[in-house]
Order: sequence, then structure tokens, then C-alpha cells
Amino acid sequence: MATYLEFIQQNEERDGVRFSWNVWPSSRLEATRMVVPLACLLTPLKERLDLPPVQYEPVLCSRSTCKAVLNPLCQVDYRAKLWACNFCFQRNQFPPAYAGISDINQPAELMPQFSTIEYIVQRGPQTPLIFLYVVDTCLEEEDLQALKESLQMSLSLLPADALVGLITFGRMVQVHELSCEGISKSYVFRGTKDLTAKQIQDMLGLLRPAVPIQQGRPLQTPEQPAISSRFLQPVHKIDMNLTDLLGELQRDPWPVTQGKRPLRSTGVALSIAVGLLEGTFPNTGARIMLFTGGPPTQGPGMVVGDELKTPIRSWHDIEKDNARFMKKATKYYETLANRTAASGHCIDIYACALDQTGLLEMKCCANLTGGHMVMGDSFNTSLFKQTFQRVFNKGFNGEFRMAFGATLDVKTSRELKIAGAIGPCISLNAKGPCVSENELGTGGTSQWKICSLDPSTTLAIYFEVVNQHNAPIPQGGRGAVQFVTQYQHSSMQKRIRVTTIARNWADAQTQLQHIEAAFDQEAAAVLMARLGVYRAESEEGPDVLRWLDRQLIRLCQKFGQYNKDDPNSFRLSESFSLYPQFMFHLRRSPFLQVFNNSPDESSYYRHHFARQDLTQSLIMIQPILYAYSFHGPPEPVLLDSSSILPDRILLMDTFFQIVIYLGETIAQWQKAGYQDMPEYENFKHLLQAPLDDAQEILQTRFPMPRYIHTEHGGSQARFLLSKVNPSQTHNNLYAWGQESGAPILTDDVSLQVFMDHLKKLAVSSAS
Amino acid sequence: MAESYVKPGNQERGWNDPPQFSYGLQAQAGGPRRNLLTRRAPLPPEEAPPGARPDLTSTPAAPTAPPPRALGPPPLGPISPALRADGGRPSPVSCPEESGPQESALPATTVLAPLREALAACRPTVQKQVCDDIGRRLTVLEDAWAQGKLSAPVRKRMSLLVQELQQQHWDAADEIHRSLMVDHVNEVSQWLVGVKRLIAETRSLPALEPAVVMDGSAEAGPGQEEPQGQERGCGL
Repeated sequence: MATYLEFIQQNEERDGVRFSWNVWPSSRLEATRMVVPLACLLTPLKERLDLPPVQYEPVLCSRSTCKAVLNPLCQVDYRAKLWACNFCFQRNQFPPAYAGISDINQPAELMPQFSTIEYIVQRGPQTPLIFLYVVDTCLEEEDLQALKESLQMSLSLLPADALVGLITFGRMVQVHELSCEGISKSYVFRGTKDLTAKQIQDMLGLLRPAVPIQQGRPLQTPEQPAISSRFLQPVHKIDMNLTDLLGELQRDPWPVTQGKRPLRSTGVALSIAVGLLEGTFPNTGARIMLFTGGPPTQGPGMVVGDELKTPIRSWHDIEKDNARFMKKATKYYETLANRTAASGHCIDIYACALDQTGLLEMKCCANLTGGHMVMGDSFNTSLFKQTFQRVFNKGFNGEFRMAFGATLDVKTSRELKIAGAIGPCISLNAKGPCVSENELGTGGTSQWKICSLDPSTTLAIYFEVVNQHNAPIPQGGRGAVQFVTQYQHSSMQKRIRVTTIARNWADAQTQLQHIEAAFDQEAAAVLMARLGVYRAESEEGPDVLRWLDRQLIRLCQKFGQYNKDDPNSFRLSESFSLYPQFMFHLRRSPFLQVFNNSPDESSYYRHHFARQDLTQSLIMIQPILYAYSFHGPPEPVLLDSSSILPDRILLMDTFFQIVIYLGETIAQWQKAGYQDMPEYENFKHLLQAPLDDAQEILQTRFPMPRYIHTEHGGSQARFLLSKVNPSQTHNNLYAWGQESGAPILTDDVSLQVFMDHLKKLAVSSAS
Repeated sequence: MAESYVKPGNQERGWNDPPQFSYGLQAQAGGPRRNLLTRRAPLPPEEAPPGARPDLTSTPAAPTAPPPRALGPPPLGPISPALRADGGRPSPVSCPEESGPQESALPATTVLAPLREALAACRPTVQKQVCDDIGRRLTVLEDAWAQGKLSAPVRKRMSLLVQELQQQHWDAADEIHRSLMVDHVNEVSQWLVGVKRLIAETRSLPALEPAVVMDGSAEAGPGQEEPQGQERGCGL
């Protein structure tokens, strides 16, 4: 039999699903005693090269409250042409097209290997994708030039039939009319006045055809974008004019006196963009792409005043309740984000500036709509340029990796209820029998909307076991969950991806070892971390850490093997062995610690943590460290100060940074120039190997990470030193001079001390 | 057909700016990865006292005495095959196509004449204004070329693009246009969009006039694209 590790990996590759528990405790009480909730990481559009979509409609269960999709777990009576829903046990007739089926002539969706299947369906009009650029012109000349070039470049990367539009802003907001006539015209709005969607549409002249609506005609369909075409044009028609228009963009002409910030009307500009699309293209895939080089300084949504002597809010200000504009601005952008999500559009934020730009206040725009958030120092950096290019990346099949307007519908067996989801989504408030009253994340619903997603977008979904204690193991011995994701593919097709999974139930009182062996500690760590980060957005940092600690101690009490009050006897089985370590690094991570990060940086890190897949999320929690030396091939080493040795090169990947660190001896050899001597070619290769591996990560990662090349004693070595477990510090001096690593000057507790405390608390009879 | 190179990032404007990959390298990156660095080291045995933890085993003869003041040379020896698994990969140093003398002598007309010819073929069916606009951009290209404002890689790839266009390899031509746009946007942004439009318009011409087809061997229809590796990095 395959090991659980293989089972877990196969399931992830086939279904894009990783569960915290792969054998499920059969009662509510036992499930709560497992400490880590029954939950999964779901990558709805996971790239599957071997999954050609089928070209027909899925067959649905006829019970109106169920509507589950026919799947390999359903019982089928081939003679009577009936199938029983495995969720509600309703017996259903097959549709007429299935008259020819038999047990040797099955449709794909009944075959076990199609636990995940994708349908292409013909539904509604196909509308082109929309890209609306919202461009800050209060930039330095060099930055504006670089940004203009990137935007011009993007016209070559967009799908040829996509619609594109342009809004620019500084003190005023300009909505540019795009015409092929060579005359540029724009509508100018004041940046200080908040406008309703209707006012915006009225002022842009988008409401004129409202007349036929009053006469009882149907709403104008997006197929006839006659009016909006003044602002949104197909790329292939407008590319030449738009290239010129972008090329002619000037810096905001309003003078900025010394000691002032430029007046930047980001709030109104976004509001106009949202209003423009809301009125003209509801429920079609659209990206509003905001490019900004500083904080909003006037009008609704302003984050800081224009006086440079008043700095933008810090964590200190926020704790002291001294961030004047924060609450109001946050509220403003939340309202905008919710409106955007309601019409199925998304907002990307590309913020490039050395100081903060207000990501803290604006984060919900990207977080609720599935948009991207990119933070850089300047538009004239490779970090921005390449990250932006990668938005338009194509997958193996030559199709854009972006999808739009998805709804995720989750169905469960009767013994399970849905507690909530954490990820770039909003609730669709679909109540039903499988929705739990206890919320984890965004709950109270069995459906969520994900306005924009790509093949790596990953949601955490939390469940609750509701079977009563001492009730028998449910019928069939297995529980099931079905994920139905409807979305607009980048080719404009409507598609439905259906994943149906089942896991065994087990009685935790008699079969605990089965449940224990099927624990997925990596998934569990990420799922708990998402809960922690979700809480950290609303609660005080120390409370979240205390909560995480308590959960960890309880988990160790439940699954550790020990004699009461004897810490030395404490052992964890292999399936739990890494979990405490993940929690240790999570506690130190920028997702939960705000020290040394600005509020914008914290928002940025959390944004990415809440959407990446398991592998990337784990890298964020506990960075990966590889060592390169003459002693053998590159090998993973402990993220520990003892791994920092003089004759090694280290490569660390924290997701946001790639660090290459030359040990002391290696650095001296390099300075001595050995790599240039032909007889030391092996040294040259040793220096090159981590660079090549780093390059490979850099080539694919989104967003582009920062790249740090440093050496022993270099100031930038701090990026490595702040991440490794400080097992040697100035406090445990006996390690000095032993050449077994590098002491870290910190008072932080090490993993060893952390584990010692954990064991003590876990075995204590007092708790 | 695209360049493969890596340029350093802009360290003046962004701290620790990552290197910049050419379009060709980015497009390749979709393939399976050679070396997934996602493994983690197993935990050392619980009993080991802190400080003296791991790796004493993996580094043979870890010195217990302080290192000698005078630094010895690195060990001699064969190149570890594991470190060398990178055959043929471009190194992260800048190596854009340098101009050979024969390339810089490439006259503008070899590129512009076929483009103008294609434009003329479009005139009967395509809006006058669009054709004029394309024409204007071709003039900008001609001037830039004549004044020596275009770098060798741009000139070289433009001549490749024209060859593909003549052979009606629309996708290949379009792909070269994209690689030029991504790698050299500051040189080409003004006029390349005209060439892009020309590719699109020529492609959608109702009947392909044989006159446009200079190279008789063209048998490729739209959508056909040949994987070509003739232009790889700095080896030229």
C-alpha cells in the first residue's frame, strides 16, 4: 500500500486539494479534540496537463437544495438509468443523452480517475476581457517614463480582442476617450469630490441609452458596447493611438511647493474606474489596474495630508490610535472593493515608491477581488517590470493564466458542515443545510465569489464534523466533499471545474492511530497559519500568538507520547514531527510580527500569504535553506545558525527574497580570485551553482522577489541571520570558537528553548 | 528565436533589485523545472545538546580549533557533476547580442521594403487612416535606423521578423514582435506597434496575394510556428 505521503501528493496533483486530516474523526466531540480543524487547501484551477475539458453540461442532482454534480462516488443503476446522489441520496434519472451508458460505456465523470473534471459550457454571451489602466502621474520623470514604457509594452501582451481603457490622475482625474481619429479628448473630474456610480455614469454620458430601459426594454447587453466604446476599445484597434497617448503623458502639471506632497486623488480615480465598469460591463472579466507612486493625499480615501512634515502612519501611530485618516480611508476602499466584487471585477495595485503608499488602507481592493498587489521601490526596476509582464504569462497550453468571475460552491455529506473560507474571495451568502453556525474565516455561506484567479490561487476551506458522539460511523464509511467552480476562462469560455473527494471516517476512541497517521502536518500548518493571519487583521498581535501557542500545546498533549510531568519522555510521531517547528517559524514571521515592518509591508506580506498554494505558503512560513560546498551535491540544511559555516555557500528562499550568502572562507577565496585560475575551475563552478538555482526560482516566481547577494560579515547578511533559528547566540558562549555555526546577536528564544517549554507544558498535569 | 540573456537589476532605483530576464528566457520558464529547491533538512536527533547540533557529520573534519590565520587555497579536484547540471544555461551576466560588423552594415531597406510592400497590399482593404498611421511609423523606424539609433539586436530581430512575415509565419512574426517589445521597449515603442498592426492586418487579408510571398517555400498557414534555435544568446 502506498504511504500517506504518496497518497497526499497524488491527491494534490490530481485534485488540487490538501486536507489537514485524511481520515476523519467521526463525531463532533472527537473532532474538536483534534485541535487542528478538519479543513483543506483548495487550488480550484490547478494546472492539469492531462485533463482535457469535456464539451457538455454537467448532470445535476434534481433535489433543488442539493444540485450536486454527478461524480464517480455516485451509485449508478445502469439498467434503470438511475443514479443516486452521494450527498443527499436522491435518486435521479439520467438525461436522454445518457441512454447509451452501461458499465462498460461510462461517461467520463463516472470514472474514478475523473474525481476532477472540467466542463466547457455554452452559456450567455462571450465578452472580451477588459483592462482598465488607472495611472498616477505624480511621479518622478524617470519613473513615469519607465511606467509609460511598461504600459506600452503591455499592449503587445494583452489578448488582441481585449478591451482597454485609460484613466490618469494627479490633482485631477482624467478619463481618456479613446478614438482612432487621432484627436485625444478626456473628461476631467475634481479629485476632492466623492461621486456616486450614477453621477459618474451620468457625467461620462453612459446613461443616455437608459431611455429604452424606461420603456420596458431589456438592459443593454454587453454585446453592444456602443457607448462605453468611447472609453474602452479593443486593443487591436486602438493600440497605435493608445501607444501615442501613453507616450505623451506628462507629469501632473500642478506645482508642488517645497515641503508638500503632490495632491494625489487615488480615491476618486478608483471610484470612477469602478463606476465606469460597473455601469457598462457587469459580470464580465475585468481588471482595474492601479499604478501609483505615492499615498492618496486628497479627497475621499486620503491616507495622509500633503504636509511632508507629517509622516504617514506607522504601527506605533496605529497602536496609539493616532492614525487620523486610517479608519475613514479603509472604510472608503472597503466599500469600493465590495462594489467591484459585486460586479465581478478585480482591482490590481502596483505601488512603487520608497515610502508607504497606503496599501494598508487599500488592501481590501485586491484582497476581496482577487487582484494582485505588487510593492516595489520604483517603476524603473526589474522587480516591477517583470512582475507586471508576468501578469500576462501564459501556461503550458499557451493560454493566459488568468481566469475571472469564479463562484466556488461547496457541497458536503450530511455529517459535515462548512465553517468558512480564507482567501481572495467574498461570501455569496448562500445559506443552506450544509452551512455551519460556527464561522472560521468568511463563513455563513456555502458559496464564495473569486473575481480573479490563476492556476495557483488557493483557498483555505474549514469544515465542522456534526455527527453526534457515540453515533455509529456514517453510512458507507466515507464522507465526501464536492467543489464546483464556475468561471470565465481567459479564452472567454464559461467553464465548470468539479472536484469530488472522499475520506474514511474513523472512531477516534478506538482508531486514533489511523487518524494520527493520516495527519498532513504541512497542510495543517498552513491552515492554522491562515487562521492566525486572518485573526491578526482584527486582533492584537500578542493575542494571536497566545492563541497559536495554546493550540500547539493542546495538539502536543493530544498526540504526544509522554509520561506525566516528565518532559524528557515527550515524543511526537513522524506525522507530527515538523509541526512545532513550523509554528516556531510562523511566530517569528512577518505575517504575525509587525516589528521592523511598516503597516504597508505587513499588508503586502499577508496579502500574498492568503492566496498562495501549500508549497509557496510553507516557504513563507519556514524559508528553505540549501548549502553548496565541496563536500557533495547541494543539500537542504536546517534553517539554523549552526548551518552558517565558513566553507559553504547558502541559498535561502523566503518567497519574497532570494538570498545567496558566501561563508567566510568562500568569500576570502573569491576575493583572492581563485575562481579565475584554470586549476580551480571547480571553485568557479561552486560559486556558479547557487546562482543558477536562484535564477530558476527568479524566472518563475510571482511577484518577482528581491535578490540579495551577500557574504559573511556583509550588512545584508542580516536577511539570513534574522530568519535562521538562533541556536547560538551571545548568551550561550560555549558554542563560540567551535566553528559550528554563527552566533546570532539576539534575545529571541531558539527552537530548542521553545521545544523545551513546549514539552514542559504538554506533559504538565496542571494544564 | 529570441535572445536569452540576464541583465542585472536597477540597483540605483530599487534595493536588491532582481536580475532582468529576456523575453526568451521568461517564455521558456514555463517548462518543467530542473531543480526544485523545496526540500527541508530532517530534524536532528532529539538528544543532541543545543549548539552542538547538526552538520558536524556532513562536514567532514570540521575543525575544532580556530581557523588558521593564513587562508589555504580551495581544494583542487574534479568538478562535482551535481554542481554542473547546468549545461548550456546562460550565466547571469549581461551578454546581449553584440553587433558583428556585417550586421551593422545591414541596410534599412532590407527590412523596410518588404514592410512597405505588405502595407501596400493592405491599402485596398484596410482603412486609409490606419494605413497612413502604419506608414508614419515605418518612417519613424526608417529614420531611427538611418540615424543609427537602433541597437544591433533590434536590427537583427527586425530582419528576422520580416523574413517570417514574408513566409506568412504570422505567429512567429508576432512572437518576435513581442520579444522586441519586452526586451527593447525604450527603443521600439514608438514604431513597433505599427509593425504589430501590419502583421495583424496582413494576416487577415482575405486572399493572400502571391505577390506578397517572396519566398516560394512558404507553406505554413496561420498558427504554425517552428521552434527555432538559431539565435541563442551571445554565441554569434
